[in-house]
Amino acid sequence: MKIKTTLLAAGFIASMVGLAHANDPAKLNDLEIAHVAYIADNIDIRYAHLALAISSNPAIHDFAKTMIRDHTAVNEQALALLAKLDAQPQDNFLSQSLQENAEKLITEMSALRGAAFDKFYAENELAYHKAVNDLVGNTFIPNIENAEVKSLFEAGLEIFQAHEHHAEMMVGEVN
Amino acid sequence: MQKINRRNLLISSVAAYTVTGLNLAQAHTTPAEYTINIRKFKFEPDHIDVHIGDTITWVNQDLVAHTATAEDGDWDTEMLEKSQSKSLQVTKGMTGEYFCVFHPHMKGKINIM
Repeated sequence: MKIKTTLLAAGFIASMVGLAHANDPAKLNDLEIAHVAYIADNIDIRYAHLALAISSNPAIHDFAKTMIRDHTAVNEQALALLAKLDAQPQDNFLSQSLQENAEKLITEMSALRGAAFDKFYAENELAYHKAVNDLVGNTFIPNIENAEVKSLFEAGLEIFQAHEHHAEMMVGEVN
Repeated sequence: MQKINRRNLLISSVAAYTVTGLNLAQAHTTPAEYTINIRKFKFEPDHIDVHIGDTITWVNQDLVAHTATAEDGDWDTEMLEKSQSKSLQVTKGMTGEYFCVFHPHMKGKINIM
């Protein structure tokens, strides 16, 4: 399972790197970046709802509830900022790639039960946050032009880094 | 003369000690107020020395919700949304470590003097 999850995470990262040749994430504008972040938040919220529905592990439930609470809060802040800027997030190749990858993972996770699900969910959360944090920290933040949007992403990165740390603890608990 | 001086000195010292002691006692009976900011997933300060009867206020300055909850479950601020705060009066049972229920790596410590 560990190998499988690692491969999935690697696939997620590779898909972004692969797309970089044809569609460079570093070339996305602020509104496209905002769309990617919104989609990434919602994907993790979907994973969390799945975990609450399938898992009976209290540690998994606690983590999943935190993901729903925190990612919802970040999305609300993002939408409030976009409303203030009178702007709309713009769909793009990376948002679509993330969405497609998430659909596959959700289908796969939905077939799992018990400890197998918990392990998969925990390891995927760790891999997902690592990948997203790398993207946000090294590609998005350096390229965001609007100061307020950049500031929100910097605050978001701190939150997602805390999630990554929390996910490491969760992986330790389910292994 | 010297004896009297020594005695006077002793009396003065006792008097001074008593006054100082009274001041200290008075200081301890006057509750102090402390603020702990929750910022960037940290309690600031993460260690605080207080007396019973003092008040601690936790202020959440992060975008996401946090709690300050005793490790032993004896006390809890309950959920603090962004910009919310909660004050608790220090009681004997509050000494020890606490954490955020939502983000368990966030830890703080209260020391009752």
